[in-house]
Amino acid sequence: MFRSLRPKTAPEITLSINGHDIIATAGQSVWSAMALNGQTVTRRAALSGEDRSAYCTMGVCFECMVEIDGVPNQQACMRQVSDGMKVSTQNITESSEATNAGL
Amino acid sequence: MQAFDCAIVGAGPAGMSAAIELANAGARVAVLDRGQKPGGQIYRSVSESPLPDANVLGPDYTAGAELLTAFSRADITHFAGADAWHLGDDGRILFSHLGETCELHCREMLVCPGAMERPMPIPGWTLPGVMTAGAAQVMLKSDAMVSDGAVFAGSGPLLYLIVAQYLRLGVPVAALVDTTPRQNYLNAALMLPRALRRTELLKKGLTLLAEIKRSGIPVYRFAEGLKVLGEENATGLQFTTKGQTHEIAADTVFLHQGVQPNLNMTRAMDLEHRWNLKQLCWQVVTDPFGQTSVPHVSAAGDGAGIFGADGALITGRLAALNILHRLGRLTLAERDRQAAPDLAQITAMAPFRAFIDRLYRPTDALRLPQELSTLVCRCEEQTLADLRAGFDRGARDPNALKSLTRCGMGPCQGRQCGHMVAGLLSEWRDERPETIGYYRLRSPQRLLTLKELSRYQAASAPAQTEAAQ
Amino acid sequence: MKADVLVIGGGIQGCATAYHLARRGTSVILLEKDYTGRHASGVNAGGVRLLGRDVAEVPLSKASMEMWQTLDEELDADTGFRRNSVINIAVDEGDMATLRAREGKMQAAGYTHERIIDRAELLDRLPHVNPDCVGGATSDLDGYAIPYKATSAFRLAAERHGAQVVDGEELITLRRVGQSWLVQGARQRYEANSVVNCAGAWADRVAMMIGDNVPLSHAAPMLMITARMPHFARPVVGAVSRQLSFKQFENGTVLIGGGAKGFADRSNNRTRLDYAKLANAARITAEFFPIMARASINRMWAGLEAYMPDNLPVIGAAENADRAFHAFGFSAHGFQMGPVTGQIMADLVLGEQNRFDLTPFRINRYDRKVL
Repeated sequence: MFRSLRPKTAPEITLSINGHDIIATAGQSVWSAMALNGQTVTRRAALSGEDRSAYCTMGVCFECMVEIDGVPNQQACMRQVSDGMKVSTQNITESSEATNAGL
Repeated sequence: MQAFDCAIVGAGPAGMSAAIELANAGARVAVLDRGQKPGGQIYRSVSESPLPDANVLGPDYTAGAELLTAFSRADITHFAGADAWHLGDDGRILFSHLGETCELHCREMLVCPGAMERPMPIPGWTLPGVMTAGAAQVMLKSDAMVSDGAVFAGSGPLLYLIVAQYLRLGVPVAALVDTTPRQNYLNAALMLPRALRRTELLKKGLTLLAEIKRSGIPVYRFAEGLKVLGEENATGLQFTTKGQTHEIAADTVFLHQGVQPNLNMTRAMDLEHRWNLKQLCWQVVTDPFGQTSVPHVSAAGDGAGIFGADGALITGRLAALNILHRLGRLTLAERDRQAAPDLAQITAMAPFRAFIDRLYRPTDALRLPQELSTLVCRCEEQTLADLRAGFDRGARDPNALKSLTRCGMGPCQGRQCGHMVAGLLSEWRDERPETIGYYRLRSPQRLLTLKELSRYQAASAPAQTEAAQ
Repeated sequence: MKADVLVIGGGIQGCATAYHLARRGTSVILLEKDYTGRHASGVNAGGVRLLGRDVAEVPLSKASMEMWQTLDEELDADTGFRRNSVINIAVDEGDMATLRAREGKMQAAGYTHERIIDRAELLDRLPHVNPDCVGGATSDLDGYAIPYKATSAFRLAAERHGAQVVDGEELITLRRVGQSWLVQGARQRYEANSVVNCAGAWADRVAMMIGDNVPLSHAAPMLMITARMPHFARPVVGAVSRQLSFKQFENGTVLIGGGAKGFADRSNNRTRLDYAKLANAARITAEFFPIMARASINRMWAGLEAYMPDNLPVIGAAENADRAFHAFGFSAHGFQMGPVTGQIMADLVLGEQNRFDLTPFRINRYDRKVL
């Protein structure tokens, strides 16, 4: 289980992770906000659909790709949280279908 | 388009020390780095640690603060949070910065891409909960985040350092599972006399190990046959030592077996590379001043060959001196005079480095996947069996294998599987890694959104800009 | 090494030629300077398209398209071929007029495989297209394949029939001595009765060794591919008057082409990219398909392609030497023609009846008159 040793002095912000509102600290990485709130599944593997989670947290493994504000393939370890941000587990696999066009 | 005498990519110790040197000599310097603050991986958040007391991280870390101060005082154009996605050997860099797609031009380019951890493809290494020891460090430094009751497994100084840091912070550690084989101690012992000239470094290492031993956490040595347990998440680590099989329950398993240069920048620039036999990895070919096969492109720090943070400071400075000479700001004699102490220092450090390399050289059993069902390519989920099948269908080159199996085609662009594939092909073809080669890499350096690319407008024709300089 | 036939170049034309020769019992050696499928044949966009072909090429292209439908069974391999159709999008009435003119021309020549579709059918088949588009043209036999897999399938099938493929062997000299072709490679010597030049972007050099001069140029068409996207486009997509071209593969990745050229550095075996042009292709793609604004580009590259001045290939016997044949210069649309070209070359080499009119593809079509 992950926990934070950060003293509660920094300003707090609110973001949403997989639909849950979460309080985080400004400057924190999206990955740490996820992990500290028990949301450790970042993406689903492209073929098997198996759960994946952050591995290197320094930008070289691309396991922590999540959707941020509707944009997929965002590295949770490289992005910082911001107020009102919406983060969700990335679910794009080989069998994903696009929802019908917003014509 | 902005123009600089020198653009440096990467603000770790090498990039920072080079930038300071160049700026202090009056050169126009740009530094591009993905981090919001300079420091690289080693000095991450050193200027504003989220920890109540950053001293637990040790004096090697806190010493970075001085470098950051010097960096902030020098006249350097620092693009913080800049993501350089194309480095051209025409001196052009395309990068994303503050939501814009930007372009700069430089006479000299210095790439300092740093190191990444050598992947450890044991069964179950893709399960959630399996991370690298470097990840434990990054999470601690940038987010003051720890995992209670984790297992640390592998070999090498970084592994022992993070365990010691956890212990100092009072974070429970389930076990340290050391995979350094007996033979490595014997082989390294032969190199000890020369390495002993640097007693302070050796002492530092021994102190760490003693600290771990004193703590009383379980330490298993000479571990083999590692396997992460769990179906959907890591639930523990299994291994064998002294003929006995152990299972240690943990929801986080941190793996480590040394670091290797992060090759994608230097490879995408098509610079000449060589296989480092001692460190079992590819690295860019440079002269003692970091100059690569493309003369106006230099490389320094661990991204140009693993030498550690102290070495990176020096190689960064040496690269800067040579660049100043190439810019006409230093005579050759003056470059050599100023470089002499650093070059001597590098020479003095080499035996200890060689000792460490030998002692912690990863075993083939951990460096290369052993079970047919183990994933080699995490992104495209290609197993050892898939790769072997591709090889048997005639794909004998890393790029041919990539085209046939998609191994290395995913978002990490081969960063994780590149060395493994080279190692496997070397074994299967019974040829040296030099003959096997590596993936052909290209820009972009990482996933680039279509929007970011769309925003790029070649506002000023580069040819004119270059001619105007 | 000795064989009846020596094929120079391990792209799809060379591998298909080796396959068709070997399966008819001819002994073949194929020389490839890098590895089979290393250049244009392995890294092209994978379009298998009959739509919009030059009329001169249509008979060959049609025959090839028939072969693609059953190629996996024939070669006992996975070429990745999917008959998902190709649609060329019309953005306005001007485009529709162009399509109708083309339709008239094709019908006059007796071809009916291209069909104009209206806006309703376009939106039905490409629900994510910008609704401002007015229609298009389609060819339903068309689709795509995976270039490296297809090329390597021909190679493996050729080898199963006894062809010898030598990777990493560069041609140094090629000479006609007596009744033989003698080759000095970087590693070995070879001898054969006949030689087939399938050397792609390097074919003019081989042609010169044979004795034929040819105005071949080369360029580097650029491609980029995205990380996986949810499936949104089954047909291969092009546009009548814009540089739009992409296809979404079964694995979800989207390959964007469009014909923009990078810089070809043939002597160094490499290409460079033109990022301003790639940015333009990105803009056009998102303009036609707004869903693509969420795409992430993973890789960008360019292959080395050989072009003839009329964008038609050279297919046929050499002009100035006996027992030498050419198949090159496909001008960035030869991948689809690989299967039939292999068959034609085998016919030519073995002196068998060839069912196509190859005069538009003769090597001497650019010879200057003596003044």
